[in-house]
Amino acid sequence: MTGVEVPASQDPTDQLAAVVALRRLADQLEDVAVERAMRAGWNWLDVAEALGVTRQAVHKKHAKRLIANGVELRRRRK
Amino acid sequence: MKGRTFETYVRTVLEGGAREAQRSGSATIEAEHLLLAIAAGPENASRELLRSAGLDHETIRDALRREFEQSLRTVGVSVTDRSLLSPREAAVRPSRMGRSAKLVFERGMAAAHGKNDARPEHLLLGVLELRYGTVPRTLELAGVDTAALKERARRSLSGESA
Repeated sequence: MTGVEVPASQDPTDQLAAVVALRRLADQLEDVAVERAMRAGWNWLDVAEALGVTRQAVHKKHAKRLIANGVELRRRRK
Repeated sequence: MKGRTFETYVRTVLEGGAREAQRSGSATIEAEHLLLAIAAGPENASRELLRSAGLDHETIRDALRREFEQSLRTVGVSVTDRSLLSPREAAVRPSRMGRSAKLVFERGMAAAHGKNDARPEHLLLGVLELRYGTVPRTLELAGVDTAALKERARRSLSGESA
């Protein structure tokens, strides 16, 4: 990577704000990644396993948004 | 009558805040969503005060985006995929306030003498009373003199011209 490396701040105010920002970034990345996976034909169980959460948790968090975005969801594997 | 007007205003700000929260993919209404709603809300003293500090809906949104990126950079994280920096709209419009929004109301109402005395400026004061978190960092980044703005809000409440 080129460019200037920014030294990590040791200031607790900055670090706490970074925690908030990183959580948000992780949430936004999760939204993008789950949608990409489901569009590519993954099922809930595999996405859940990849994220280390239950199928119910991932479904509850993402199903409505994906349906609203017109993603075709696969039926649960028997 | 006065109290009723304030209630209507609060409802408008909460509805606007909920829309902002949904747009930013948040599950709860937070202080930054209330601030955006105040800036885009009905023409009144609060909106004027924000404007006097160079803040409208667009400049606040822009500053919020910069605060997000800057906070990531302070721990050495820079995001090259720009699309990850913009949120995905939530499917459900949130109705619950998060901790930061509750603090806005707590601190704003503490500055008013009872519910009947409350005016839009009190809500803005509540926002400006936040010491930590996204909103104060964003205001600082936008170059806002929070202390001076608070003072103008208080003067506006006491009837002096801002």
